[in-house]
Order: sequence, then structure tokens, then C-alpha cells
Amino acid sequence: MTPTPDTAQLGTALKAVNSKLQQQFGRRFLDTSTFRGELTFTVTPQDWVPVLTFCRDSEDLLFNRLDCLLGNHFPERAEKPLEVVAHLTSIPKTTRLRVKVQLAEGETLPTVTGVWPSAGFDERETWEMFGIVFEGHPNLTRLLTIPDFQGHPLRKDFPLQGRIGGRIRMNLKGLI
Amino acid sequence: MSAPEHDQSVAAPAKPRPTLEQLRARKERTRQRVKGDAEVMTVSMGPHHPSTHGVFRVDLDLDGEIIVAARPEIGNLHRGVEKLAESLTYHQIIPLTDRLHYVASFSQNHAYCEAVEKLMGIEAPPRAQYIRVMLDEMCRISNHLLWLGIHIMDFGAITFQQICFREREYIMDLFEMMTGARLTHSFCRIGGVAKDIPEGFDAKARAALDFLPSRIDEYETLIDKNRIFLKRATEIGIFTSDDCAAWRITGPALRAAGVERDLRRNEPYAAYPDLDFEVCVEYEADVYARYRVRMREMRESIKIIRQCLDKIPTGEVMLRDAAHVLPMKKDVLRSSAAMVQDFVQVFRGPQVPVGEVYKAIETPHGELGFYIMSDGSPKPQRLRITTPCYYHCQATPPMFEGEMLADIVGIFGSVDVCLGSCDR
Repeated sequence: MTPTPDTAQLGTALKAVNSKLQQQFGRRFLDTSTFRGELTFTVTPQDWVPVLTFCRDSEDLLFNRLDCLLGNHFPERAEKPLEVVAHLTSIPKTTRLRVKVQLAEGETLPTVTGVWPSAGFDERETWEMFGIVFEGHPNLTRLLTIPDFQGHPLRKDFPLQGRIGGRIRMNLKGLI
Repeated sequence: MSAPEHDQSVAAPAKPRPTLEQLRARKERTRQRVKGDAEVMTVSMGPHHPSTHGVFRVDLDLDGEIIVAARPEIGNLHRGVEKLAESLTYHQIIPLTDRLHYVASFSQNHAYCEAVEKLMGIEAPPRAQYIRVMLDEMCRISNHLLWLGIHIMDFGAITFQQICFREREYIMDLFEMMTGARLTHSFCRIGGVAKDIPEGFDAKARAALDFLPSRIDEYETLIDKNRIFLKRATEIGIFTSDDCAAWRITGPALRAAGVERDLRRNEPYAAYPDLDFEVCVEYEADVYARYRVRMREMRESIKIIRQCLDKIPTGEVMLRDAAHVLPMKKDVLRSSAAMVQDFVQVFRGPQVPVGEVYKAIETPHGELGFYIMSDGSPKPQRLRITTPCYYHCQATPPMFEGEMLADIVGIFGSVDVCLGSCDR
């Protein structure tokens, strides 16, 4: 049973989004929350692609753009320390929605590059920075760091300074 | 100017707006140039190619002059801003945001401060809101002028860059007068702006604003019907509205595809609800349409700044709120309360509730969003910067497919990419 969110601070458009999604997925949402007029749903990894696809395709929601997809790391959470957050935007309805999923260490998540191609870079970055593997991603390789970088820099246990991770190699034979 | 083919006085008949199907068909025609069985040659373009506007590398599969596939590679300018931000207090992050997009640095400051203010549940005083809008629009003009110069230079007109830099200088002088810096201002503060408008700014700004429209007319005389530009810009690099949504293309490139989306209008922030301006939309979705959108936006920005100068209310430029904001620097050495506030804010940082927010604003090159996850400490638990350029670089493969090698210089320029903001 999901707790009912404090819908008083939501705008009318988001209230409609909330009721539509509650009606469709109600019991399958792990959590629903509101903060500063923003609506957040937490889903299970199995529901990740179905919920996002429904948000895009439903005539009443029309979330036709993925604004960003990002990862997060909470080392203090013992069971599910990793998190992936997707921000959806509807251009015709000018509404925004946040969908989250919490993952255990080593757990994988299906890719949403088939739903929005713009998720490609975001998922690569999330894998690179947090080590979250996206199943079915066409090209899950390092994006922002050097190709032979070791580790996942945005994890909380990765130090801010030092030589961990690797240095820029001068010998790039075979890489170019 | 007397040659009949360059005569500006005869207005061309208005072309009918293309439908989405027509645009798709045009793009499809371009794609069909790629033949499945072609022998391809792979060429690496960049990272130091002048047309990549920074350090962007793209691997191109070529069939003769035609692009079969493109594989963009970014990250040469990655500085780890998001990791750095996790070890700094909310006030200390402001200078980092400047360095994201050094051409429109105030817009980046502003986006970050709006996000933090949303998280804290505070709002800057009206005078500060007007100053922010004014600087935002000055950023837009200077960014578009720089873009125009470089973009036209990509097409081969070298002198044009010098002309645009000449006009940009007036905006830079205004920035210098207001903020004390020309490029990286760090002028926005959480809950306001750093300083009030200096004496003489109003007159100087109005003088520049009176003068700029005539210069924009001059550019249009040079470019609008220039045969070389028209040949290389019309029906080149078509990116339709549904492609824009799928690849998260925002800003002028989205409005050039006929989508009337501008966060200044759709999700009004700062003083934009009080101001009268037009959202510039074009329908051709090609390089030329993007150029037209930016030229019209410059005129709108001039209109907005003029309205700001007329309407700006009197009062404080910084919120009086000891828990969240820094005091004005001029008060710190004069009042003990301000001194204590300064000490607490600098050494301990602001008081922030637990929660997460996402706030996006319309910067010159597109929608820039900040996601902040707060655990209640004075430092963010996670800060994610969603920059438009990141997605513009990502969308290069579908944009380049089927185009000629020489045209990708113009296509890549037309979406306005800054690699500093892309790589973060």
C-alpha cells in the first residue's frame, strides 16, 4: 500500500498526473512523495521501463521528453545503496515528473534508450560514475573520463583527491 | 548595395509553413543518400578542429563526401564539477557554475541560484529579480553575437567574427560596469545578487540598446539573402520537433522546429511574468531557421532589457534572512549582526531542508537544469547539472546522417554547443 502524498501543494496539472498514474500503477509504486511542488514516484526495477513507457505514450500524460537521467549513491543505506532518477517533461502540457528506482549493489536495470534515445549518454555516464549496469544499452563505455580509468568517481567512497583511478597515459597505441 | 539581386526593399513573399510530414520527407531524402553497400572510410574530426568550438571529437564514416555514421566523443574538458560540488557549501559552488559555459556565465549562476532558492523555499527581492533578468538577457545578446560571428565564420566569412566582437564589446563593458568582471562574473547570490546597479549604468545601457538594433539590421542585410549562406543553410541539418523531443534538443534549435517552448514563458521565473516579450518560433527546422530564431531573440532581449530599466523597483537586492543567505558585503564591516551572519554562512554554510529539487531555466543555448539532493547538511548530497550542450552533442549522429562533410561544420555550429558546459 502506498502512502498517499500531500497533494495540496501540487498544481492542478500534476494532481491529474498523480491520479492517472495512481490509477494505473497504484499498488506497484513503492513510494510517492511531493516536495516544493514536485511529484516523485519510486518504482521497482521491474516496473522501470513499463512506467516510463506508459508516461510517454499515455494520451493524458504525454511526457515526451526525458529531461535527465542520473545516478546517486547512499552508502548509509545497507540494502539498496544505489539510485537512478529520471526527470520527465511534457512539452505540450508543461508538466514535470520524477521517477526513481533504488538498486542493490550489482543489480542491473534495463535501458530506456529504446524509449528515449537521449538516455544514451546519461546511462553511459551513470554507469561510468556509479557502476550501475544498464542491460541492453548499445554502447556502455566510458564517456567523460579516460578510457582506462579505474573505479566509479561519483561514489561516496571514491576520494576527491589522489592518484586513484589512473593517470593519462602517454602511450595510446591501439586506442586511437 | 545597388545590385538588384541584393535589393532588400522588395519583400520576398511569405513561404507557407512546412508541415511535420514535409519536414520528415526532406530529412528522409537526405538520409537516402546513404547507401547500404557503400565502402566507408573512417575519419576522425577534432578534438582541435576549429569548427568544433572547443574540444569535441567525432568519428565520421564517410562514403565519398556523405556521412554514413557519426560517433561523438566528449569528455576532453571534464573537470568533475559534480564531485567537487559535494565537498563545497552551497555558497561556494557559485563560482564553479560560471566555468560551465564561460560565454553566458551569468545564466549558469542564475540557474543554480534558482534551484537552491527553490530547495530552501526562499525568493529573491523584486529588484534583484529584475537585475537577474537584465543580466540574463545581456548574456543572451552577447552569446548570440559570439555565436553569430563564429557561425558565419564557419561558412567562410572571416571578417564577420570581427564585426560581431565589436558589438559584443558594448555588452561586455556593461557587464564589467555591473559585476566587475567581463567573462566569469559569479555575480548571482543565493537570495539576490552581489551588488546594486552602479551609478551611470542606466544611461550607458540605454545608449547601447539604442545602438544595437541598427547593427542587427546591418547583419541581416549582410546575411539574410546572401546566396552562399542560403545555399548552405536552407534545408540543411533538418531536425524535426519529434526528433528534438526524443533527443532532448532545447533552446533556439527546438523553437526553430516550430515548438513554442520557452521556459521564460512556460515556467516563468524571476521577473519574466511582468515583462512583455515574444517567443520567437520558426518552422523550417534547418540551419537557416535556427539563425533566424537567434536574430529575433536578440531583438526581444533588447526589448526586455529596456523594459527592465523602465520598470525596475527600488529596494534591497539581497534577502534579509540570516539562516540562508550571505549578507551584503558593504554591511559586513559596519554591522555586528551582518558580521555574525557572514561568519556563520562562510564557516558553517546555509541551513537547508532535506529534500530534492530540479529547476531548469532558459539559458541562451537551451534549458539548463540543476538537480539538487539535500541531506540537510550545508553541502549538497548530489548535484547534477543537466546542460543542453551535452544532449546537443549526443544528437550529432541523427543530425549528420546523410549530410555532406562540408555541411556538418554549419550544422554543428547551428545548435550552439559549448564544450565546457557539455563536459562539466
